[in-house]
Amino acid sequence: MNEVFSNFDLVLRAFWLTVQIAALSGVVSLVLGTVLVAMRIGPIGVLRQFATTYVTLVRNTPLLVVFIFIFIAAPNVGWFVHTPFLLKGVIAVSLYTSTFVCEALRSGINAVPVGQAEAARAIGMTFSQNLAHVVLPQAFRASVPPLGSTMIAMTKNTSVAAVFGLMEATGRMRFFTNRHADDAVGILIVFAVGYIVIVELISLASYGLERRWRAAR
Amino acid sequence: MTDVGTVGREPLVALDHVDKWFGQLHVLQDINLVIGRGEVVVVIGPSGSGKSTLCRAINRLETIDKGTIALDGQPLPQEGKALAQLRAEVGMVFQSFNLFAHKTILENVMLGPVKVRKQPKADAEKRARELLDRVGVGHQAEKYPAQLSGGQQQRVAIARALAMEPKVMLFDEPTSALDPEMIKEVLDVMVDLARGGMTMVVVTHEMGFARTAGDRVVFMADGRIVEENTPEEFFDNPRSERAKDFLSKILKH
Amino acid sequence: MRMTRIKATAVATLLALGLAACGNAGSDDDSGPDVKVSDNAAASFPDGSRMKALADSGTINIGVKFDQPGIGFKGATDDMPQGFDPEIGKILAASLGIEPDKIKWTETISANREPFLQKGQVDLVIASYSITDERRQVVGQAGPYYVTGQQLLVKKDSDISSIDDVKGKEVCSVTGSTSLDQIEAKGATPRGFDTYSECVDQVLNGTVDAMTTDGAILLGYAAEHPDDLKVAVDPFSEERYGVGYGKDHPEMCQWIVDTIKKAQDDGDWAKAFESTLGKSGVETPEPPTMDACPAS
Repeated sequence: MNEVFSNFDLVLRAFWLTVQIAALSGVVSLVLGTVLVAMRIGPIGVLRQFATTYVTLVRNTPLLVVFIFIFIAAPNVGWFVHTPFLLKGVIAVSLYTSTFVCEALRSGINAVPVGQAEAARAIGMTFSQNLAHVVLPQAFRASVPPLGSTMIAMTKNTSVAAVFGLMEATGRMRFFTNRHADDAVGILIVFAVGYIVIVELISLASYGLERRWRAAR
Repeated sequence: MTDVGTVGREPLVALDHVDKWFGQLHVLQDINLVIGRGEVVVVIGPSGSGKSTLCRAINRLETIDKGTIALDGQPLPQEGKALAQLRAEVGMVFQSFNLFAHKTILENVMLGPVKVRKQPKADAEKRARELLDRVGVGHQAEKYPAQLSGGQQQRVAIARALAMEPKVMLFDEPTSALDPEMIKEVLDVMVDLARGGMTMVVVTHEMGFARTAGDRVVFMADGRIVEENTPEEFFDNPRSERAKDFLSKILKH
Repeated sequence: MRMTRIKATAVATLLALGLAACGNAGSDDDSGPDVKVSDNAAASFPDGSRMKALADSGTINIGVKFDQPGIGFKGATDDMPQGFDPEIGKILAASLGIEPDKIKWTETISANREPFLQKGQVDLVIASYSITDERRQVVGQAGPYYVTGQQLLVKKDSDISSIDDVKGKEVCSVTGSTSLDQIEAKGATPRGFDTYSECVDQVLNGTVDAMTTDGAILLGYAAEHPDDLKVAVDPFSEERYGVGYGKDHPEMCQWIVDTIKKAQDDGDWAKAFESTLGKSGVETPEPPTMDACPAS
């Protein structure tokens, strides 16, 4: 563990990259997931079919395979060759996580009473206005706990990037464990604590939103 | 059937040979109904008679299988932008209020004018506050729907519909979900509205309201319009057996 | 380790989908030069020594790499790993009277070599295992039996010719490896991957500018893609491969050193090299001089 503490700047840098991947992927997958859910419940058949197929396909694929696709398979056929690694990592994590966001939101939408959408239609709102101003805001509020879990899972999933060129926390941890394999337990503990801190921050934010929105209703 | 009510009035809502099925169930059977501008039509009938479906069909919250429904001479378009525009002209008040739970009372009333009518926020707010004052909940403007009583919520719902300046107001059993002591405050607002010349279709069991404010009573049973008449004639001299039977049941209590 | 297993599954899935082109290095059918197995070897070791125990048991568990062509590589359909490290393993086993087909080969990766030795899960580690002072504090390392150094594997048309050229370039290696750390120190952006073969792919498709690790490993890959890849720059570190053994059996050190010394002298070492790393076209080097064993 001493090695870890005497090289603590390396640890912090690695976790900073973890936070960057997680934060960027979080934003992108929330946006993408919202678009997907809008397609899924929307009136256009082709988009509905596309979103349903996409969610079924990607959600049932291991994240590692998504990474291999983006980082190994795609460059072999000439895609993403000069895309920055961080961006590729965010793409891989977001493509995967957005399907879970979509499903969390869909459960949230199901929790919004039908009358809410009917009332919105009755004052002349179009489908997209209805979604944007009435259904989705309420669905988001109802989805905070599952979305929080999705974001936590996503943060831990960023560790897959360690073996795809990104020296984030898990990559740095391997660096330490390879050199000091005898102290693997101590090193693991230090890095686990790092992840716990990040995840707890997400949990707290999630609880905070949940409480605030519950009070507002 | 006598043609009451529409005499001398310009037709605003016209249902022509309307049929609708829920699966095997024929919920609207050959409905022909014309509602004149400024007329207050009260639709009554036993539960399952199709009266709510009729009301909801007028702004196409329920689709119909046969026939046409026209508003101000224009047939209802298919789902889409044109239908949304047309719905903006038709106010609707639901049994369960359906106020937007995540918005304040004021925001509920402003949402339609701002997003659908594209009114400037300041204008919409001024008008919303006037309407809230008119229905007597002006002092609750900053609260959320869940913090209001049922009667207050329903009055807000009326204000929300009025904010769109609709040509016609549809009321789908507006007092059925209310505690008895709150029914009057809602009916008072509706009577006021009727006196102000609003065209109204009201599905209700409130006979008092029908007598006070109604121009015409439409009695429905088993998906058909069985009888139409002025409120006085209908309540004092029902002609059909179904209506007599129905009135005897509800007036006993 | 868990990651590796999941990854193996994922790669298998991709293979099934026909997406991944798979390197097939080291699956040549020859199993290296024959090494003469000692008869009655057990008698030549003192009672109570680990060597005697192994000789008596008739088998030995050796940890090697399975993913480094030329060094230690085992294809999915191979029975036995191929490469210079397994050849050294066979030489050592032979001195205990153990036939090559009685050797149990265990895959070791960089992160589990010390734990495997400490827990006795393997008897020896011969897995491109650089001798370092830090490692010698927790395990025994005899040797070096081979000396190499960190180099770069680049495309044939690459303009990287000296180590200074890597500044600001993206260079891949295996996540967590010392090579990756050292290339970072040279000013390159390190890109870690799970396996060397994925890293080679990145060089081939142009995603990264170079791959770095011990020259011996790079030679193996260069030999696989002679038209596309070359090994560039002079070695900028010295890696001395040693044979790892458990610290609780210090008597093994002298046996390892003596056995390899004998192989160096009688030409078995050179034969082992020629049949493996030597295939890339490099000349067989002078065998290195081995360190003295610690006084026990």
